[in-house]
Amino acid sequence: MADRERHALKVRHKGRIAQAWLYFMKFLRMFVYQNDWKVLPMAALISGLVGFVMSSLFMHTMEGTLTGSFALVCICIWNGSFNSIQVICRERDVIKREHRSGMRVSSYVLAQMLYQLLLCLLQTIVTLIVTNAAGMHFPADGLLTRWFICDLGITIFLITYAADLMSLWISSLCRSPAAAMTVMPFMLVFQLIFSGGLISLPDIAKPLTSITVSAPGFRAIASLADVNSRPVATVDKILGATDGMEIKYQITLGQVLDALKDNKNNSSVTAARSLKLGYMDTIGNILDDLMKDENFNELRGKNLFAGITVGDILETINELEIAEPYKDRTVGAQTTLGEVVDYLATNKDVQNLRDEGFTIRTSTNDLMDLIGREKALKLIGDKVSEISARPECGHTPDNVLGNWMILILFIPVFSVLCGITLSFIDKDKR
Amino acid sequence: MNTIFHVLLLLFFDSLSLYGIIIRGLFIAGSWMILKKSGIRPFWALVPWVREYQLSRCSMREPEGRWFMISSIIVTVLQITLYFFRNAPDESFVFSLAALILVIIITAMIVHFVFNIRVFSGLIEIYGLKKLWILLFIIDETRFIPLLIWGFGSKYQPEWKVEDLRGEMKRLATQGSAPVIGDGLTVNLEDRTVREFFHTKMLLRDIHMAIPQGHMVLLLGGSGAGKTTYVNAVNGYEKANAQVTLNGQNMYKDYKKMQYEVGFVPQSEMIRSKDTVFNTLMDSASLRLSIDIPADERRARVEDVIDTFGLRSVRNSKVEKLSGGQKKRLSISMEYLSNPSLFILDEPDSGLDAVMAGELFEHLRAIADSGKIIIVITHSPDRVIDLFDDIIVLAKDSTRTGRLAYFGSIDGARAFFGCDKMEDIIKLINHTDEGGEGRADEFVLKYAEVANG
Repeated sequence: MADRERHALKVRHKGRIAQAWLYFMKFLRMFVYQNDWKVLPMAALISGLVGFVMSSLFMHTMEGTLTGSFALVCICIWNGSFNSIQVICRERDVIKREHRSGMRVSSYVLAQMLYQLLLCLLQTIVTLIVTNAAGMHFPADGLLTRWFICDLGITIFLITYAADLMSLWISSLCRSPAAAMTVMPFMLVFQLIFSGGLISLPDIAKPLTSITVSAPGFRAIASLADVNSRPVATVDKILGATDGMEIKYQITLGQVLDALKDNKNNSSVTAARSLKLGYMDTIGNILDDLMKDENFNELRGKNLFAGITVGDILETINELEIAEPYKDRTVGAQTTLGEVVDYLATNKDVQNLRDEGFTIRTSTNDLMDLIGREKALKLIGDKVSEISARPECGHTPDNVLGNWMILILFIPVFSVLCGITLSFIDKDKR
Repeated sequence: MNTIFHVLLLLFFDSLSLYGIIIRGLFIAGSWMILKKSGIRPFWALVPWVREYQLSRCSMREPEGRWFMISSIIVTVLQITLYFFRNAPDESFVFSLAALILVIIITAMIVHFVFNIRVFSGLIEIYGLKKLWILLFIIDETRFIPLLIWGFGSKYQPEWKVEDLRGEMKRLATQGSAPVIGDGLTVNLEDRTVREFFHTKMLLRDIHMAIPQGHMVLLLGGSGAGKTTYVNAVNGYEKANAQVTLNGQNMYKDYKKMQYEVGFVPQSEMIRSKDTVFNTLMDSASLRLSIDIPADERRARVEDVIDTFGLRSVRNSKVEKLSGGQKKRLSISMEYLSNPSLFILDEPDSGLDAVMAGELFEHLRAIADSGKIIIVITHSPDRVIDLFDDIIVLAKDSTRTGRLAYFGSIDGARAFFGCDKMEDIIKLINHTDEGGEGRADEFVLKYAEVANG
C-alpha cells in the first residue's frame, strides 16, 4: 500500500492550460443547457430599442452623438454585466468542491475569460447588426481600421468584455446570486454616472472616472463618431425661442461718447464723425435733421457697437433730459459730427454727466438682421460648438487608441482580482 | 497643542462639547461595569472601538460586534478628518471633499446604528429584561442610562458570562499520540485554532487515532462538536497543528498530490445540475485521473463507475432530473473515480429514505471491503450501525472546544458510554442547554486515561 502512495506522488494530473480547456468546453455545454444563450436575444432587444430611438440623432448632431455614444456604452455595460454577474456565485459550492478535487483557480478563471470573450464577441456582432438594422447608420471609412463598423465593433467589444470581467470579479466576491444582484445596480449607477458622458462632474469627482469602464468607452465611441464636429442642435432651438424678443441696453453717456471717439478701425464711426453739419444752427435742430432727414437715412442705420445704430443713439440723446439745456446752443457752420462729439467729450459739464445712464431698446430680430440671419446662426453655432467641444473626444486615432488601451488594461486587472478573490474560496464559512 | 487635544477628545469621547464628553464618559463608566459583570477585563471600556467589540461579546453577538466596531472606527476617523477641514472655504476642493466625507459618515452611521441595536438587543436578552429597553439605545444621548443601571445595579446580573477558559482548558488538557501505521490513516492533531478579533478560538484539541485500511468508521458528535473541522483537518483542506499520514505519506507536506488520494463527499451534492451524468463523470475523471491514462481507458473507467453505482439508466440524463439517492450516488461516484484510499462522507444519508440510505451504506461497506478507509458523518447511525467497524465520538467540552471522547470499536463504545444506541451517546455528551446531559468533560478525560493506559 505504501508503494501505492509513493506511486500517487508521481502521478501527473492535468496542468493549468488543459484544465482551462476542460472548463471552457464545459461552459460551452452550459451555454445551451443553462440558458446562457438568452443573453444573445436580450442583447438584440436592447440594441434594437436604442437603435430605434437614436437613429435620427446619432452622428447627426452633437447632442445626439453624445447621447448615442452614452446609450451604446449603456448597452455594452448592461450586456457585459448580465453575462457574468451570477456566473461564479451561483456555482460557488461546486467550485469549492472542484477546487478541493484538484481544480486550479487560475484555470477556472482563464476558462471563464475565454468563454465570456466568446459571449461578448457574439453580443458585439448582434449589437452592430441590430443597431444598423434599426436605423443607426454609420459612415464607411474608419479611423483606425479601414471600416468604421470595424472600429466601432472593437470598441463595443472591449467595453462589453471589460464590464463582463468586472462583473465576474463582483460575482467572485459575492457569496450568493441574491447578493450579486444587490450589488449590481450600484455598480451600474456608478458606471453610468461616472462615465463623464451626460452628467457634468465636479472636479473632485473626476478622478473617479478613471476607475470606470464606461468613461474610456464613452470617450472612444464619441471620438470615433467625431462628436466635436457635429452641429449643435440646441442653437437653432434657442434662437427660435428668442425670436422677436426685445433687448434693453443700459448704457451711460460716457460709453456713447467713447464709442463715437475717433476710431480708425470702425468705418461706421469714421463715417459718422466726418459728417458735415453744413450750417449754423442749434444742436436741437441739428438733432432733428439727423433723425428725420432722408439724406441721413444711411448714417442712421450704421452700426456702432453691439447692434446699436447711430439712429438709436440720436433718438436716445434727443429724449434725454440732461440734453435739453444744450439743444438751444448754436454750433458754427461746417462743423462735423466728430467735432461736436469731441467738444462734448471735453466739455466740463458733460464730463460731470458721463456716468448718467439711459436705456436703449432693440430686438433680437434687429440684431439678427443687422448681422444677417444665416451668418448669425453659423457664428453662434460655431461658437457654441467651440465651447461645447470635448478635447478628450477628439476625432484622432491616438485618442481612440488610448481609450482602447485603457479598456484592454482593465481585462487583466479584473481577471487577476477575480483569481485572487477566488483563491480565498476555501475560507468561506461553512 | 490645541489641535492634538481636540483630536484626542474626538478619539476618546467622539465630541468636543462638554455635554458630549459627559455623555460619553458615563457610557464608558457603564461599559466598564458591564464588561466586569460579564467576565471581561474592564479596562477594554477605555479603549475606543475595542469597547464596542467587547460589549458585543457580552451580548453573545460577536459577528455583529465586528461590524459595530468597524463602523465606529470609520465614523471616528472621518470625524477627525472633518475636524481638519472645518475651515475650508466654500466651493473649494477641500470643501467638496469634506462634503463627500460627510456622506460616508452618514452611511457609516446608519450601519453603526443597525449594529448598535443588534448588539444591545443581545445584551437585553442576556440580562433577561424587557425589549422596551432598546428604546434607550436608539439615540446616542441615552445609551449610557441602561448601561449605568445594569452595570451598577446589583439586581441586574447577566444570564451568561464570557468565561475565562484558561483554567478550565488546563484542567481538561490531555496528552497522547497514535503510532504511525503504514497501511492506514494516522491522525495526531494537537490543536486547530482560528484567530478572531482579539482572541484565538480553539476549535479542536488533542485528537489522536490510527485507522487501518478496510475500516468503515462512524464519526459521531453533536452540532458544533467540530466534525466538519476534523475531516477538513484530516484531508489537509484546512490545516491544523497536526501530523496526518495516509499509508505512511504526510498529508500536509504532499497535499497537492495526496489530495487525489482523498475523496470528500460533501453533505449537499454540489454538482452542476444542468450537465448530464456522463459529462459530469467524464469531467471529474479528466480532473482526477492521471494524464498518462489514455482517453479510451478513462472513458471505460467512467462507464465502469456508472455500472458500479447503478447510474446506467440515467447515464444521459441531466443531474437535475435525478432522484435524491441517485444524486448522492453520483456525488460519491465522482470521488470514487480516482480510486482514493480515504473516503470521507458528510451526512450522505441526508434527504434519503431508510431504504435508500440502507442501500447506500451497504454500498459504502463494499467499498471499504475493497481496502479503503471510509469515514462517515451521520446523524442516524443506529439503523446501519452493524456495517461500521469503528466509531469516533467528538464532543464539545466545557470550553466549547471539540475533543475526542472516544475512538474504537462499536461494542467498545457501547461499554464505554454504557448505552446501546449511538444516538444516546449524543445525549450523554451534549451540553444541558442543547438537551443533553453535559457529560462531555467526563468522557473526554476518561477516554484520555483509557487511551494512555
